[in-house]
Amino acid sequence: MLGGIIGPVGLVLMAVVLPALAAGVLRGLVRTSVLLTLPIAISALLVNLFFFPGGQQVLLRVGPITATAEGLEFALEILVRIMAISGAITLFYLTTRPQDLVVDLERRGVSARVAFVANASVQTVPAMVERAQQIAAAQRARGLDTEGSVLRRVRGILPIVGPVILGSISEVEERTLALEARGFTRPGSRTLLWWPPDSSSQRITRWGLILALVALVGARVAGRLG
Amino acid sequence: MLTLEGCSYRYAGAAGASLHDVSLTLRDGEVLGVVGRSEAGKSTLCLVASGLAPRTLGGTLGGRVLIDGADTAGRAMHEMASEVAIGFQNPGTQLSGVATTVYEEVAFGPMNLGISRDEVLRRTDASIDALAIRALSQRDPERISGGQQQLVAIAGLLALAPRHVILDEPTAQLDPAGTRLVSDAIERLAAGGASILIVEQKVDLLAGICHRVLAVDEGRITLEGAAAAVLGDPTLHALGVAEPSAVRLRRLGSEAGLSEQAIEGALALATSRVNDA
Amino acid sequence: MPELNLEGLVYVYREGGVRAVDGVDLRIAAGERLAIIGQNGSGKSTLVRHLNGLLRPTDGRVLVDGVDATRMTVAQLAHEVGLVFQDPDRQIFAGSVLAEVEYGPRNLGLRGRELRSAVETALAAVGLEPEARTNPYDLGASRRKLLALASVLAMGTAVLVLDEPTTGQDERGVERVRAVIGDAHTAGRTVIAISHDMRFVAEGFERIVVMRAGRIVLDGSPEQVFRQDSWSTLESTFLEPSLPAVIGERLGLGSTPTDASLIQALARTSA
Repeated sequence: MLGGIIGPVGLVLMAVVLPALAAGVLRGLVRTSVLLTLPIAISALLVNLFFFPGGQQVLLRVGPITATAEGLEFALEILVRIMAISGAITLFYLTTRPQDLVVDLERRGVSARVAFVANASVQTVPAMVERAQQIAAAQRARGLDTEGSVLRRVRGILPIVGPVILGSISEVEERTLALEARGFTRPGSRTLLWWPPDSSSQRITRWGLILALVALVGARVAGRLG
Repeated sequence: MLTLEGCSYRYAGAAGASLHDVSLTLRDGEVLGVVGRSEAGKSTLCLVASGLAPRTLGGTLGGRVLIDGADTAGRAMHEMASEVAIGFQNPGTQLSGVATTVYEEVAFGPMNLGISRDEVLRRTDASIDALAIRALSQRDPERISGGQQQLVAIAGLLALAPRHVILDEPTAQLDPAGTRLVSDAIERLAAGGASILIVEQKVDLLAGICHRVLAVDEGRITLEGAAAAVLGDPTLHALGVAEPSAVRLRRLGSEAGLSEQAIEGALALATSRVNDA
Repeated sequence: MPELNLEGLVYVYREGGVRAVDGVDLRIAAGERLAIIGQNGSGKSTLVRHLNGLLRPTDGRVLVDGVDATRMTVAQLAHEVGLVFQDPDRQIFAGSVLAEVEYGPRNLGLRGRELRSAVETALAAVGLEPEARTNPYDLGASRRKLLALASVLAMGTAVLVLDEPTTGQDERGVERVRAVIGDAHTAGRTVIAISHDMRFVAEGFERIVVMRAGRIVLDGSPEQVFRQDSWSTLESTFLEPSLPAVIGERLGLGSTPTDASLIQALARTSA
């Protein structure tokens, strides 16, 4: 019964679990992946377990609905595939620093300005949250009621949102002046001091993976894999 | 040498001009102070001298801005950046926002200039040492104090190897320790022969480092001359500028009928700081 | 007119567990004029935010007129304690100076003639009546700071707390702030200012409290705080005594924290 899932499990082990172990992020990976996929996993499991069409081998009967072995097998297959995808994405997220990614892209030709925007965006949210908190404090000190009725609190939105937006805009102007005063608008690429090293073994592995992907897709299309 | 010749400037969308027929020269190795009340046009003057007005800000510029006698009118902003570097009063908004360490932050400017990697490193190291912030090199620029951020910002400007440095109220938002840190650094730069145009409300700071001082009022230069003369000018008060402490004490002393001897004797004790006692 | 009492106040920030206020006992009588000085990070801003309930003690008590502040909401405490923040741009939201100043008193329930009068008085105090219809962002940074001050003045609270009122101000602005504080004091209001302008503090306040690492290390009149035997304590907080104080002590004239007191002392000795 479990023959169908050996392939996907093997894939997950090789492509996700082992690298995660090597990078020391296995625990974080498991925690994040499981959390992410838990809702889908539960619903996929239940739906397929009980409502798999053509299920013969009965495992469990709960009132009018039946859990079948074929259903279980199918459900597990789907589960493992979901794990493979979410695991891969989480692995990427856990092992890549955004700045490293951006620098590497810039090294390979992405424009300095695009790279800058990608990097700078990370800072904006915490900065805005902090600004909003300070503004809320100043307005509350002037009697803005954040502890009263819902209607009262809704009326309090403009005195908080207004300065957040205005302040952010005026800050952008200041930042722009400072950036341009530091030569940011010079056309062409900038001198990078460092970028993530790319060894030949990494390059070989990358190309190997791409070829393996092509081969797998081809084999599937040609009907070799079930 | 940086020269403004009859400069007038009107911000985009503004009804009137913020600067009227302003002429000044910042000579090599000179420290030029600028005083005036807020909204007098001091910041506008800095923006025009640095080239940000009109290049980045838009607006209309009349008159000429010259570097070593050559008109800068045709130059792009990034070309101006390596000639005239400008620092502002808010330490946080001057950070690039993309550097994870102070070293990277200081290197940001030179990295933009298209020079060799070795040259970038050389300039960054030189600026870091000039501002004595080696100990901060690996820190996160967002997490250091305001005064330290201002030092990093100034180091970032120096790393561009500019011929002229403009500082618009560098200590305005700093606490006393930060002010001390930054003003000491500026004193060292001045002593080292840098060409600096500095706007400040803290006239005592200017009295300590400036060769010459200009007073700006309603977009025009109303006083100009040697630092001691301008800062001691009684009409400064009408322009909304504070008196340096020494000047104020002299005035109060003579109003109270004290002898010049007594006053000067007292002031002589003001020159060294508490910790030197 | 309420008396303010901080008893064994401790405040610990949740993130990082920093003890921003580490056991402060402070009694502020009604009508007092008090300056709190200290480095950034000494706990001054954290401390004053307990006076209007923006922060609640981790330990200890805050009493406003004998009543535990935790029994009142921030909106209720705003009737008694007005707090002006350092950065006016993290507050200003209205399209006109008038509307901005109206906001606070309106929240407190003022209407009609009472409201108009409160707003006009506040605008006059900071010299912004001619700009009543101006958009706040058409004013320079210095006058926006005065606008923020006016917007809290108009609330007519018995206690006025100012966080760095002179930072970033030009000389005219500083003079205005001095005048406003003087008038508030004459009217019997309690005024508390956080500042690091030693001259402003020495000349304008009867009592100075010095903070370091969440605690009060000096508490007294300007004469006491700027006296020579307090200098090493001040130095440990990276503050320096005012210039006249330094000169006065060096000349052996005793404690002369202000220009006026120094000149007086000099005049006495040469007489």
